[in-house]
Amino acid sequence: MTTPMTTPMTEPVYHPAFDGNGFDPARAEGAGLADTRRHMWTAVRLGWQVESNWTDPLLFFIYTVAKPVASLLLLVFMVQIVGGTGAAGEAVRTFVVLGSALWAMLMAGIAGPAWSVLDDRERYRMLKYLYVSPATFLLVLVGRGVSKLAVGAMGTVIALLFAVVVLGLRVDLAAVNWPMLVLTLLLGLPPILALGIGLAAICLQTRQESWSYPEAFAGALFLVSGVVFPLSILPAPVQVIGLINPVTWWVAGVRGAILPTGASSIGGASSLWTTLTGTQVPDGAMTIAVLLLTGAVSTLAATALFRVSERRARERGLLDLTTGS
Amino acid sequence: MTADVTATLPPAISVAGLRRVYPVKPKPVTALDGIDLEVAPGEFFGLLGPNGAGKTTLIKILTTLLLPSAGKASIFGFDVATEAAKIRRIMNMVAGGEQSGYGILTVREQLWMFSQFYGLGSREGWRRVDELLDAVGLGDQRLQRVSTLSTGQRQKMNMARGLLNDPWILFLDEPTLGLDVSAARAVREMVLAWKGAVPGRTVLLTTHYMAEADELCERIAIVDHGKILAIGTPAELKRRVQRESVLRLEVNRLDGGPAVLAKLPGVVSAALAADNVEAGTEAQRVAVNLVLRDDNALTGVMAALGAAGSRVLGLRTSEPTLEDVFVELVGRGFADEADAEAANAGADHDHSHPTEDAER
Repeated sequence: MTTPMTTPMTEPVYHPAFDGNGFDPARAEGAGLADTRRHMWTAVRLGWQVESNWTDPLLFFIYTVAKPVASLLLLVFMVQIVGGTGAAGEAVRTFVVLGSALWAMLMAGIAGPAWSVLDDRERYRMLKYLYVSPATFLLVLVGRGVSKLAVGAMGTVIALLFAVVVLGLRVDLAAVNWPMLVLTLLLGLPPILALGIGLAAICLQTRQESWSYPEAFAGALFLVSGVVFPLSILPAPVQVIGLINPVTWWVAGVRGAILPTGASSIGGASSLWTTLTGTQVPDGAMTIAVLLLTGAVSTLAATALFRVSERRARERGLLDLTTGS
Repeated sequence: MTADVTATLPPAISVAGLRRVYPVKPKPVTALDGIDLEVAPGEFFGLLGPNGAGKTTLIKILTTLLLPSAGKASIFGFDVATEAAKIRRIMNMVAGGEQSGYGILTVREQLWMFSQFYGLGSREGWRRVDELLDAVGLGDQRLQRVSTLSTGQRQKMNMARGLLNDPWILFLDEPTLGLDVSAARAVREMVLAWKGAVPGRTVLLTTHYMAEADELCERIAIVDHGKILAIGTPAELKRRVQRESVLRLEVNRLDGGPAVLAKLPGVVSAALAADNVEAGTEAQRVAVNLVLRDDNALTGVMAALGAAGSRVLGLRTSEPTLEDVFVELVGRGFADEADAEAANAGADHDHSHPTEDAER
């Protein structure tokens, strides 16, 4: 037992900061939408500060810039070796470069909320204090995810600039379908974050070290989302997973908007899409529509999963359980 | 707020038949086993018990971090299971013995973030943070990164966080654990000052420091193995184990020795104190340990001393400690509990204790 410690106390010192607002019952009710906005914005800001205000700027640079560029280069060199040169090789290279650059943002958005759960619970030990604050826990994690997504988007932009300037990626700005690009980017954010929330719901339940789960899940998604190769090369059952996955439609939509004449990751000869619909590739409107539909379903599913997980975590005492180091 | 208005509030804490079982292997651990408790607004209430007694589990349930397995609990009338959002706006919690905090943020930044989660406006949040940092004595550290704070400073910062929303009820879970003497005292004084500033503010403190509970709490519940063994004011609890009054009496002379006093009605025993046995009854100052059946017997003792020409130089009561109460109730002391745990941990090389684990 630790040695007790009392010594005679002096008189408690009053401070004006200890004055209070009384016991108005209205205080228990909160301020509704104003609170929601404030909580969301604060979570975004907290996430940004935790992400960017690193004690080691070099580490921040590596994660934000060097990592996506290195991943990009790795794939480009592989394509260079396998695909060779010429027009076909160029088309493959462009397909891969664009998908790989987008992945930096996707990865951050999908893994971000789960990393926030693990960081706050295991490393900062602040999850319980966030949880028992009036802020809605789901909203806090969405806010943290938004900030991670923003950092990931920086990586995507930098990787794209690198691809254009250094690797010679040809993007005709006049040919870019800007309305489609903006619409797809915006419509894709909720389902990306929803996937992140779904993953956070799973990490909330894990009782052992689970730092690798977010990357593992995102890595698996990488294979079935048409990021660096079309879905048509996958077995039909796996193509089903790709087609019901909103990330696939988001990547296809963004890619189609930036390179309207480029190859699509969905459809093509012998693809499940073509078999089911009789069309070669989905057009822009179809892409948006399916993105909306799969996005709505995944957002609802992730929200429901999170609610169940949160309830279970509260039942089982997992919210402040540190399982790691 | 007046005391009358406080009286119209529902109980600050109301707990009925509360049970909490952790479904851990190899067998479930019962951390709370049918707790009934009511704390009035304005009370400084303590939960005293050894590690693994169930104190932290109870605080987790009351602060909406954990759901009960059975039973009911409410805070100012709000149910912990169904009205958690309301409870979170009027309560706050500070735990000790942990290194929590976003180390890369400054003290000011971290507290401001929480002020926003507690619904303060941006400017109001900064003002409140600065004000509280001054109040807890961290004004000079406001721009320091959290990671650079000492343990005591970090706990002061946590206290400031706990007061940000001007809570109706503050839960303190071993708030002085791991602090040195002066830091622990600063935390206790801060809590007393804050509580005393507005009538009706309620504090629930868990501790296994007997003296801390004795010093701060108006009422105490002694908890062990998930049950409340006794509840009352520190004085009431001590009276449970001391049904007789123990006094040290000092007189200038005592003709006939302590045996004269021992014959008086209501006197259980009278003996020379150990520190003046050598001097005997001829000394100028004679100290006698008296055990009386109750305080009323003292009147007869004083009358007898006066009649014998003895002059009373000093009279001091000797009270039992809360540790005595615990020993009486449980049959062992806190130190025994800690020793037993250490022995068990060493015997099976398993450093986890099911209930402690469950409590973390």
